[in-house]
Amino acid sequence: MNQMTQPTPPALFSIRDLRLSFADRAHKPLFGPAPRVEVLKGLSLEIPEGRITGIVGESGSGKSTFGRILVRLLAPESGQVLFDGKDIGALGEAALRPLRRDLQMIFQDPMSSLNPRHKVWRIIAQPMKRYGRGGDRTDAITALEKVGLSAHFADRYPHELSGGQRQRVGIARAIALEPRFILADEIVSGLDVSSQAQVLTLLADLARDMGLTLAFISHDLSVIRHLCDTVVVLHHGVIVDQGPVEDVFEHPQSEITKSLLSAIPHPEMDETWWDDMPEPA
Amino acid sequence: MTSTTAHTHTLDIINLNIALPRGQRLLRNVSLQLEPGEVRALVGESGAGKSMIGKAVLGILPHKIKMTEGEILLEGAHLNAMTPATRRRTVAKMSALIPQDPLTALNPVRKIGPQITDPLIRIHGWSHQRALARARELLDRVHIRAPDRVMHSYPHELSGGMRQRILIAAAFAPSPRLIVADEPTTALDVTVQKQILRLIRELQRETGTAVLFVTHDMGVVAKISQKVTVLFAGRVIEDAATHTVFENPAHPYTQALIAATPTPNVSARPFQPVPSALIAELHRDTVAADALFAQRGRR
Repeated sequence: MNQMTQPTPPALFSIRDLRLSFADRAHKPLFGPAPRVEVLKGLSLEIPEGRITGIVGESGSGKSTFGRILVRLLAPESGQVLFDGKDIGALGEAALRPLRRDLQMIFQDPMSSLNPRHKVWRIIAQPMKRYGRGGDRTDAITALEKVGLSAHFADRYPHELSGGQRQRVGIARAIALEPRFILADEIVSGLDVSSQAQVLTLLADLARDMGLTLAFISHDLSVIRHLCDTVVVLHHGVIVDQGPVEDVFEHPQSEITKSLLSAIPHPEMDETWWDDMPEPA
Repeated sequence: MTSTTAHTHTLDIINLNIALPRGQRLLRNVSLQLEPGEVRALVGESGAGKSMIGKAVLGILPHKIKMTEGEILLEGAHLNAMTPATRRRTVAKMSALIPQDPLTALNPVRKIGPQITDPLIRIHGWSHQRALARARELLDRVHIRAPDRVMHSYPHELSGGMRQRILIAAAFAPSPRLIVADEPTTALDVTVQKQILRLIRELQRETGTAVLFVTHDMGVVAKISQKVTVLFAGRVIEDAATHTVFENPAHPYTQALIAATPTPNVSARPFQPVPSALIAELHRDTVAADALFAQRGRR
């Protein structure tokens, strides 16, 4: 992995003027089409290869919708989504099939994203088999060991694991396919601080050792600061701040980023935290 | 009644033990006090039993989970000594709950207004007018701009932050002596969380209500509370003033919990998971304590 020595790694994703809107059926008039709600309003950014890009914003900012376009679970309305130089935004399902292995995802809720009736090894091995990357028990155990779970977890069921262990299985399933891109959508928000810290440390180590390209969606700026190399701050479907994490956190450009940063309760005694008053929306 | 003649605690929990029917212990000899106007944080990881304490006080323990030992005193009154009906009435009159999930706590098919005023009329015996005026006043206090319109809305028509503000208004409306806040900001964005914490702090100071604040976030603990009880596997690990806990934590587990809380200033503080050796040691202590407890029970 020599990309760490290069100052600017090449972009794996180049996104140009990405737009998406949904029909607002709650406000549909009796006749005529439902009004559209713009979710993403012209995003342009690059996701560098071999780095962790943080995507942060409040609920309703469009961060998950954006992530789902990256892995093409959703199609953009207009704009370009260049993956390795190829526009995948307009591709149909058949044309996307060869790319699916390269675009993997780790989900927020491992209880609903891991099959409760399958043993852990099968959960990891099945997609490997599907994409012709092996897929026997030993392959699954190799992947498990990479995420710090020993071989005896292979025969457990998801309900027998703790939240942090389940999330590790999700990570193992994604990295076992050796994808070129992984989307992690709020993967630590349901965890306790101690398992959260474990999963974050694991993810940082894996990213460094395997040179993973990761988009990490979170509403928690502290987590983003610890894990990511670059960050994009979204607000109502618009990018309000972006750049290397140190720059954005030390010198935030937008008021949104500043208010998000100042609202974080630090684990230390500091009465000045209460001073500035954010207006309730 | 008790030897403390000078003043009574708002809440006094003495040696509380809670267990599942087969005897598996969920709370182990928990004791804590809450003074009037004080905010005490109950902090710990999931399964530490922090919510159980609040539920035991309010008498809303899940089915089959029973108090096996200990006493709970609300304003000096022994709750265990009461008949179930008296206990329910006493608890309802003196305390309130701010739950974690405002959507499940509100009735989806009733308008907001009666959901706030009903308890005031039925439990506290207020007139309809007085209850309505108080609901309006409190909604205004939690920065809801059109109280009358909101009172005629259904829960699904409001945002998550607004629903949580409404539940805060409802909890504080009768000026209860005690409020149990069970992770009230866990599901919210940081900016909304700060508004909610500010509201709880302001109202609590105005009304002199004592708050038992259940959370897993050491950051929130530092901001909202004056006292902290740190729990692990149903045991009290540390019980101290909040500034002591953050400036000079006595127990290694408390130190580890603080170190595992991420913050944006990376350089200022190391960030590391709770060491697994420490967790293993705490579990060993728990098992040993349980063995001793079982032995004592047999004798």
